[in-house]
Amino acid sequence: MAKTQSITSASSAEYFSKNLQQVGFSSYTKAALTTLKEAVDNSLDACEEAGLLPEISVTIEKIGEGTAKNSDSIKIRIEDNGPGLEVEDIVKVFGEYLASSKFGRGRCSRGQQGIGISAVTTWAQLTSARGASVITKTEKMRKACQCVVEVDIKHNKGVLKSKEVIDWDRDHGLTCEFIIDARIQLQGEGGLLAYLSGTTLVNPHLTLRYKILEQDWVEVARVTDTIPEIPEATDPHPHTMKLGEFIAHSHLFGRVTIGAWLKKGFSRISDGVLTDLKKAGLKQSLLDTSVDTITEENFKNVFSALQKVNLMAPSTKSVLSIGETAMAKSIQRIGQVDFFAVVSRKPTICDFKPVLVEVAIARLIDRDMPEDGAVTLLRFANRVPLQFDKSACAMTKAAESVNWRSYGLNQPKDSLPLGPYIVAVSVVSPFIKFKNASKETVDASDELVEEIRRTLIQAGQRLSKHIRRESKEADLEKKRQHIEMFAPILVDGACRITRSPKNRRERALEGLAKLLGRDAALAEKELKVAIEHAEEAVMKMEQMTGILPEPPVVEEKPKKKGKG
Amino acid sequence: MATDVNVKQLSVDMCERLLRDLEKARRPVFQATKCALDNCFYNPKVGYLTPGDKKVATELNVSSVQKMSRAIFMIELILRNLDVGATNTKRELYYISKGEIKHNPALRPLDFDDQDESDAIVDFICEMMECYREDLNCFANDRGGQTYSQQLMVMETMPDGTKATIDLSKLGTAPFQPKNRPQSLKLKAKKKIDFCLIVESEGTANTLVNSGFTKRHPVILLGAQGVPSNAVRGWTKLIQDELDVPCYFFGDLDAYTMQNIFRTLKAGSAASLIRNADFSAPEVKFLGVLPEDIKKYDLPDYAVRENDAVESRALKKARDALQNDPFFKDKKNKGVSDILRWLLQHKRRCEQQAFFSVNPRDPLMPEKIIIEKIKNKNFV
Repeated sequence: MAKTQSITSASSAEYFSKNLQQVGFSSYTKAALTTLKEAVDNSLDACEEAGLLPEISVTIEKIGEGTAKNSDSIKIRIEDNGPGLEVEDIVKVFGEYLASSKFGRGRCSRGQQGIGISAVTTWAQLTSARGASVITKTEKMRKACQCVVEVDIKHNKGVLKSKEVIDWDRDHGLTCEFIIDARIQLQGEGGLLAYLSGTTLVNPHLTLRYKILEQDWVEVARVTDTIPEIPEATDPHPHTMKLGEFIAHSHLFGRVTIGAWLKKGFSRISDGVLTDLKKAGLKQSLLDTSVDTITEENFKNVFSALQKVNLMAPSTKSVLSIGETAMAKSIQRIGQVDFFAVVSRKPTICDFKPVLVEVAIARLIDRDMPEDGAVTLLRFANRVPLQFDKSACAMTKAAESVNWRSYGLNQPKDSLPLGPYIVAVSVVSPFIKFKNASKETVDASDELVEEIRRTLIQAGQRLSKHIRRESKEADLEKKRQHIEMFAPILVDGACRITRSPKNRRERALEGLAKLLGRDAALAEKELKVAIEHAEEAVMKMEQMTGILPEPPVVEEKPKKKGKG
Repeated sequence: MATDVNVKQLSVDMCERLLRDLEKARRPVFQATKCALDNCFYNPKVGYLTPGDKKVATELNVSSVQKMSRAIFMIELILRNLDVGATNTKRELYYISKGEIKHNPALRPLDFDDQDESDAIVDFICEMMECYREDLNCFANDRGGQTYSQQLMVMETMPDGTKATIDLSKLGTAPFQPKNRPQSLKLKAKKKIDFCLIVESEGTANTLVNSGFTKRHPVILLGAQGVPSNAVRGWTKLIQDELDVPCYFFGDLDAYTMQNIFRTLKAGSAASLIRNADFSAPEVKFLGVLPEDIKKYDLPDYAVRENDAVESRALKKARDALQNDPFFKDKKNKGVSDILRWLLQHKRRCEQQAFFSVNPRDPLMPEKIIIEKIKNKNFV
């Protein structure tokens, strides 16, 4: 008979240390990106929470060969001007899994669960036997604190090592440094540069300095001094909860009646809703019972009744917006654009969760992208670039479902459109449904895909004004050429077949020139209208953003000022 | 009898109209009959598909000026051919155009990038003139219609006006190959001919001839080789009209044969609406394989493979045909549409060669069955 095995429980740190591939450490190249991403996202969140304009500095150097085969030893250092962390918080943030100030709060922050940076510390610990080196200074501290934090994997606790007090020439801020086994990939969709440029695009208030390997320092200055205000979380909506959450939620309220708890603890529940609940068969006596005394059965009854009544959709106030102006300014930081379109939709409800979708489309003047390649689609969830698993993402699906041909772009069937364009899609929501813990893909629910699709359509319509102008110009040029090239061939051929005299040829040529000239005049008129529309669009964008994109070069025509 | 189209006169008329309009700075518009199913009617009195009133118009404007210029250029090449009685294929016309353009830089804007472009211009000319490519002396390779008979005489008028007489009984084992343009042929029967048998499979037609079918019976036997070409269609029509003999089609029992082969032979097609009068033989009967033959002769048949793209498309087309095709909708063709309905309902198919299974040791069995079916009027 087999020996009975004892059941043991493992700490969450133990779980994650064995499954780091689930949180972004599935390869050495991804390890470098994830480390950078988690640290920068934390810095941005901290600055925004404290109402500070973020200034982040990144240095990445190769310090030798990695301990594992085919890897390098990489030092990644991120420095911010955030509020800093108290020493007792440092161990929790860097050394403990699921210790977060943001967990389940329903706010649009980048980090949510408190896994990312602890996983980075674990990776550093596993590959270089050294955790996170941190320097922190809060406004209250006279001197900065320098220490090393490691994860006690067995007990999911942070361990503070070699703590020392040092002088630091700044009021507040935090620096973290990791030495990890990794490989550096700069270019491509999954490259470090794509992450950094994507982050600057959706964070117009960020000043970022970076030096990667042997390259020179690069500084991307902020384009707005407005710190995005992160809206407060709203109370939970009963239709977005499960029974277990519903019961657990009641424990926060102590001794209150069910009726009072429902009104106080949830959004969209009013006296009217309570009346509806009674009409649906819930007894008044139950509503008057205290939450701490009712049975599970009764919780179930209240919960089921709530699911059956019609409630207003959840509030969209908790959603943060980058805004069209900021996006328009920010997109100029990618490079010099010859035209662009930005759309920021109103917040809406998808799958009972508030969501806001924003889109920016631009065409770069100095583009090294192929004319017939697919557009570059940049995806952002809560202002964090998503760089992997593109095909399954809601944003990709939405972009593929739009008929871009009607806006003047080429597009193979059910695919992304073609051309040297950058299409940036940002989805912001306090509850983004990611497909995995490493937040690489947003789940493609029908409602979300439709909302993104609508935003893309609006942006496409704005973009089409510029494209139409170009195609009308090309059309007119082609028509003018056609008149010159084909008119004599056509008339001469017809004259030879009918054996017509020379003077008839002249008359016919004259008539044909008039006819085709009329067509060309019509094309000219259409071009004029298209130019007006495109210029209006540029002016509107300029009024909004103060930025005038480089106008398209029109040969042999003096530049017009203003409208017309 | 097939009628000739005077391409030269039509070309001159067209160019006259074009120049007249241009002289008055008026926009020339060329109209052609729309050759599509939505402009297709079945006239039971004549027995073939006829065009409705719908027209497609090509207007000369800055977008179509290139196409029109290319068409006029191609017409000149064609007229030159017609003048000297020369013929060409579409591919040859493509290279002739390339050669002309190479030697005349003024024509460079007309240059064709590939043969598809020049083919489209030849088709466009046919549409405008409402004629067949053969009328433009632009021939495709003659396909199908290889004919055997001991009684048939063919009198051919050559392009130079000389005449030739072909006695099919003097050709040995060689068949007579009708041309894609049967207008120049006249027929005569040396003795009374009982019927004309059109066999879908060229191979089976050869087998029947080799086993002595045409020696034992005073008939005309021809192989259709799948979807009937213009040659097969015009030739069958000629036999039907000039010799006044009953014509029977012997082919597979499947949706494709009924719609694409038999219907085209009997009533023409939507794509050739304007010329169906000359290229359809409305008196042709469907001899088999009939659905009842399967049981009567115990023929091996097969289930239609619905996962096969070609077969499932044929079934879908059959469903559409019963609803939309005026030929199958007309009560005059109820027998044929009943077969199509049977095919859709039973999803079975049976090949013409299945008759060889009836008595595998008697090579004359299929011949006997064909004769028996005709005698018993066992056809549709």
